[in-house]
Parts: sequence; C-alpha cells; structure tokens
Amino acid sequence: MHEVSIVSDMLNIVYENVQLHNMKSINKIVIKVGEFTCINESSLRFAYECLCKNTICENVKLEIKKIKASAYCNNCRKIFNISYTNRVCPICNKFSKNVVTGDELTVDSIEGEQK
Amino acid sequence: MKSIVIEKNILKNNNEIASKIRSALNDKGIYTINMIGSPGSGKTSVLEQIIKHINRKFNIAVIEGDLYTTKDAERIENQGINVVQLNTEGACHLDANMIEQALDCIDINNADLLVIENVGNLVCPASYDLSEDSKILVMSVTEGHDKPLKYPSMFQKAEVLILNKIDLVRYTNFDIGDFYKDVKSLNEHIHIFEISCTSGKGVQKLCDYLEGQIMSKGVNR
Repeated sequence: MHEVSIVSDMLNIVYENVQLHNMKSINKIVIKVGEFTCINESSLRFAYECLCKNTICENVKLEIKKIKASAYCNNCRKIFNISYTNRVCPICNKFSKNVVTGDELTVDSIEGEQK
Repeated sequence: MKSIVIEKNILKNNNEIASKIRSALNDKGIYTINMIGSPGSGKTSVLEQIIKHINRKFNIAVIEGDLYTTKDAERIENQGINVVQLNTEGACHLDANMIEQALDCIDINNADLLVIENVGNLVCPASYDLSEDSKILVMSVTEGHDKPLKYPSMFQKAEVLILNKIDLVRYTNFDIGDFYKDVKSLNEHIHIFEISCTSGKGVQKLCDYLEGQIMSKGVNR
C-alpha cells in the first residue's frame, strides 16, 4: 500500500545521482528489496510506471533484486535462512533475534550515458 | 555505458529525520510510543485508558494520526491532554517528516510520555521509523486469532502487543492458545497484555509496565 511513497523516495535518489554524475540518459535502475519489507512487486512496478512519466526514468528498466531473509545464531556463529514464523537455528534450535537480511530497501545502482 | 553504484537506503531520508528527533527526545528523557493497529482495534480507547491511569503521575503529549478527521484528537483533548492532530489526507502511514512538523505545534518540554497514534493499518506503518522507543500493537479479539500470521511484519517488529476487547472473547471463536503460539513464533520476546477498555480488565497491568518504561527513560533526564 505504501509502494507509491517508496517509489517516490527511490526516484528522488535516482534524480540526485543523475545530476551528481552528469548523466544524459539512463537505461536501468537496480534496487534491492528484502523478503520482510511487505513490498508488493506489481504495486511497486505500477507506481513506478505512473511516477516516472515525462521524466528521465520513463521507459527505463527497473530491476528488482529480491533478498532472502536470514539471521545470525550467536551460539553456532552461523547465518541461516529464516521465514516470518521460523527464526530457530537449524543446528542448536535457539530463536535468533539477529535478523541479518530481509529488511533491505535500497537503490543499488543506475546505468546510463554520461554527458 | 556507465554503471553507477549508489547503495542508498530508500528510507534513508525518513530514518535520518527519525534519528534527529530521537536524539532530541532522548535528551529530554521522553518515552515515545508508536501505537499501531487495524481500524477499530481500539487504539484510541486504549490510549484513553492509559491517560486515565497515569495522567496524575506523568505528563503526556499525544500526536493523533488520522486520514481526515479530528475525532480522535477531540477525544484525547477532552481528557485535558496536550494533543496535535495530523491528517494524512488518505495516506496509509505516518512518516518521520510528519512527526517533525507535528512536534513544532506541540509543547513537549514537560512531557514524560509522547504517544503517536498511527493511522489504522497493519501493513505500511511497519516500515516507517517515527523515532519511537516502542512500537505498541493493538489488536482486538473480534479481528480473529489468524491475524498475526496474516500480518507478520508488524507482529515481528512490535515490542508490545495489546489484545483488546478480551471481554468479548466468549462470544467469538478466537483461539487464545493458537494466538499465543503464532505470536511467539513471530516474536518470542514480545510483551502481551490482554485488556478490556470496557470492563477495565488488564489495564492496570499494562499501565504498570508503561510506568516502568517511562521511569527508566526519565532517569536520563
């Protein structure tokens, strides 16, 4: 539901960097979206299509890298995959509070031509 | 063709504003709550109960989030509390920028407790740091015991869960055992309080807990 706000913040970061790096065009935006961010991909793409009309981002490919959720076990000193309902270390069966990945929401990179 | 590595958090602006507010609130020793829950779960009623119980001991300030109306702010103002209304005009969550603006409109210098009542929504507010010490999630038995697994992110991020309308549980098929099992599978360390704003059951226990939190934060003042 908040995908429009997310895309709007994302585009601001892209525009900042377009200026900063003196780009005349871009052809790809790469973002990372963690499994735990509650972002719906089709809503995100719809918001992106709407918000980038008549901007440098119109028709620019949006690549979404999905990041699996994982946690770190203090006991076993290992990172393991988790789900919302299972954060128990598969080796020692202890619940882990240390979520390592899954909350990512970042603009990873942009690709294009410089002036 | 040039590839430019950015690696910037999309919520960075929000998070920066939130940490600025957080350090100001920490300096003042104000314990801050972000109250989240579905529409109709009883967030405002729970807040009214909290105010009634702790108002004599602590100064409370409230930021009321609402899509369009001032109804909730009026209820809080009727209890003699310093309150500011935030209307999101349809937006589904509050963000740190809104809180910064709201804080310009309210005197928090003497406050011990700041409550931010979010708009009714179990999804979007989970992503936005509002500079709170605790996310307090309010849900009611009439919503059904399946909600924790259906909205896992919020249950995972909350420090406190208030199960409201517990007086109605006997009229519903709400399974308390399944509810606890599911919530604990999402968040083993969450504090759960069963309360009824109508009968008053459990309210004292919740307020005892909150008073402890307010006092330990106030020590830094």
